[in-house]
Amino acid sequence: MDYVLELQDVSKTYGHGRTAVKANDRVNLQIQPGEIVLIMGPSGSGKTTLLSMAGLLLSTSSGIICVLGEQIDHASASHRAHMRLKTLGFVFQSYNLMESLTAIENVELVMNMAGVRGSRAKERARELLAMLGLGERLDHKPADLSGGEKQRVAIARALANDPPLILADEPTGNLDSKTGQEVMELLCCGLGRDQGRSIVIVTHDHRLRSIADRVLWLEDGQLSETDGNYLPEMT
Amino acid sequence: MFKLAWRNLLHERARLIISVGGVALAVMLILLMAGIFAGSEEHAVAYIKRQPADLWLMQDGVENLHMSSSLLPPQVVEDVRGIAGVYQAVGLLYSTGAVDLGETEVYSYIFAVEKGAPFGGPWDLMEGAGSPGIDEVILDSDLAARYGLGLGDTVDLLGKQLRIAGLSEGTFGIATSITFVNKQTLAGLMGVPPDAASYVLIRPESDADRVQVADRLKEAIPEANLMTREAFVASDQEMIRQMGADVIRAMNSVAYVVGLLVIALTVYTATVERAREYGVLKAIGADTALLMRVVAAQAFISSGFGFLVGIPLAYGIGALITTLLPEMLIVIEPDNLLGQVPVLLAITAAASLLPLGRIIRLDPMTVFKG
Ligand SMILES: Nc1ncnc2c1ncn2[C@@H]1O[C@H](COP(=O)(O)OP(=O)(O)OP(=O)(O)O)[C@@H](O)[C@H]1O
Ligand SMILES: [Mg+2]
Repeated sequence: MDYVLELQDVSKTYGHGRTAVKANDRVNLQIQPGEIVLIMGPSGSGKTTLLSMAGLLLSTSSGIICVLGEQIDHASASHRAHMRLKTLGFVFQSYNLMESLTAIENVELVMNMAGVRGSRAKERARELLAMLGLGERLDHKPADLSGGEKQRVAIARALANDPPLILADEPTGNLDSKTGQEVMELLCCGLGRDQGRSIVIVTHDHRLRSIADRVLWLEDGQLSETDGNYLPEMT
Repeated sequence: MFKLAWRNLLHERARLIISVGGVALAVMLILLMAGIFAGSEEHAVAYIKRQPADLWLMQDGVENLHMSSSLLPPQVVEDVRGIAGVYQAVGLLYSTGAVDLGETEVYSYIFAVEKGAPFGGPWDLMEGAGSPGIDEVILDSDLAARYGLGLGDTVDLLGKQLRIAGLSEGTFGIATSITFVNKQTLAGLMGVPPDAASYVLIRPESDADRVQVADRLKEAIPEANLMTREAFVASDQEMIRQMGADVIRAMNSVAYVVGLLVIALTVYTATVERAREYGVLKAIGADTALLMRVVAAQAFISSGFGFLVGIPLAYGIGALITTLLPEMLIVIEPDNLLGQVPVLLAITAAASLLPLGRIIRLDPMTVFKG
């Protein structure tokens, strides 16, 4: 069976010559359907770089990336954009919602982009937001929502096109720990694993280990498995 | 995408007002300029249009009232009257010259018909005599009022002192006015016989076939040019249009450039300010074409509203100008209005291309920055 996401010997070097920074060094990673994987590591170890390449937002220096069994690292920009829209969902530390749109419109937007329009899009957006506990906040703009609420809207947006893989970079970074925990449980349990979705989360937040199937450690650009109990000291 | 464009616009009210206002001003400017030219064109053919003469006879080779000089031999008017189907014929002497009002001189179209002519004089008389006697003049009432002149005062025309005998209306244009004088007086000033005519204004009998009358006239007086009123009006309008075309084109270009700059600038700043959001859209799967559609939609919505606001603005300001300055006849033609649409569309499309470079260079990696 195909992995949802597979990285083979992926490296990334920023810049060149004396200022070159090797952010990722021959990283190998396989994500199974329905698997929730946490990637932890000290600041500057290359976590965001790794997630950006997996998310088809950043080109690799070397190595192979496959999404749903399709090698994608050398695909055209428009094909990669299409893959991002249809098969990947993104959740960011800073929510990144459209300020001029309401909660429900933010969710509808990505469905419209994927060709789903009208009442079908609206219904699904409403349903997703209701499942995330925002049934009463559909018509609020981001400026009128709390951080936790904004992140839940962002999660609804990431799920809108029903992608098999969600990538999250520090999704709880701007939330207090209790809110962060709640939001991530919503994403991972009800809407993630139970629906066969895979989720890769980059985080500094140790509490999230409890919801993960696997915890990986990235340090100096190199990825290693941990047993989930012992983790090296965080910086 | 249209919704996002719309919401982005509404989210920045001040900018929306500036861009809609800018386009509206440009549209208003264009319509007013064209309206002023159309108005002066209308003023220039007002005399011809107001006369009940269906046919105009003039010197061979002449096809206009303006910028041309026509002189017919004295007996021609009588010849015309003798032709079957002709109801009335009026010999008109026409010249141009400056009316010296003391403080200033006003360029004037000068008309003179013989005493007792059934038509050819002022069509809307406000005060005084409708037919000027020797050394008398009928001036426009707004023009006279502006310089404190009234019945009985004298003005200087073509070097001669003339007494104001009547005041007419609807005879004041930008930089020109229509003036009526005694035919004998004008003939003396022009150095032509008093019964000579520049043009003969012909009114056929109401039941006569105009084409037949015209044919008979052409046959009887082959050495002159005969035109229908419609053809004569069209020929003068065409000439005036050509004279004004370059000026209009220059003015419109300026207005268009203003409109272009306003739209381009607001679309560009709107894009730059939302660069992060567009970067987010790019990250979650939007391609450049889709982002450009959002930008273009914003530009087209702004200029569309600008156009819609510009039209009533032009009519309103036009009416205000005409009230304050009676000589400014402003005629806004629906044809001209619609003619602006393709130009505006082209300008808007051009303006929305300005942020293209920014959109292409957008770095979706900004989504990872806190
Ligand atoms: N665009 C870039 N150009 C040059 N160097 C970069 C660039 N982006 C990241 N780096 C460098 O690559 C290394 C890895 O950065 P990355 O952002 O992936 O780390 P991270 O693990 O996400 O850190 P943090 O936990 O602080 O978010 C860092 O040394 C960083 O300075
Ligand atoms: Mg990072």
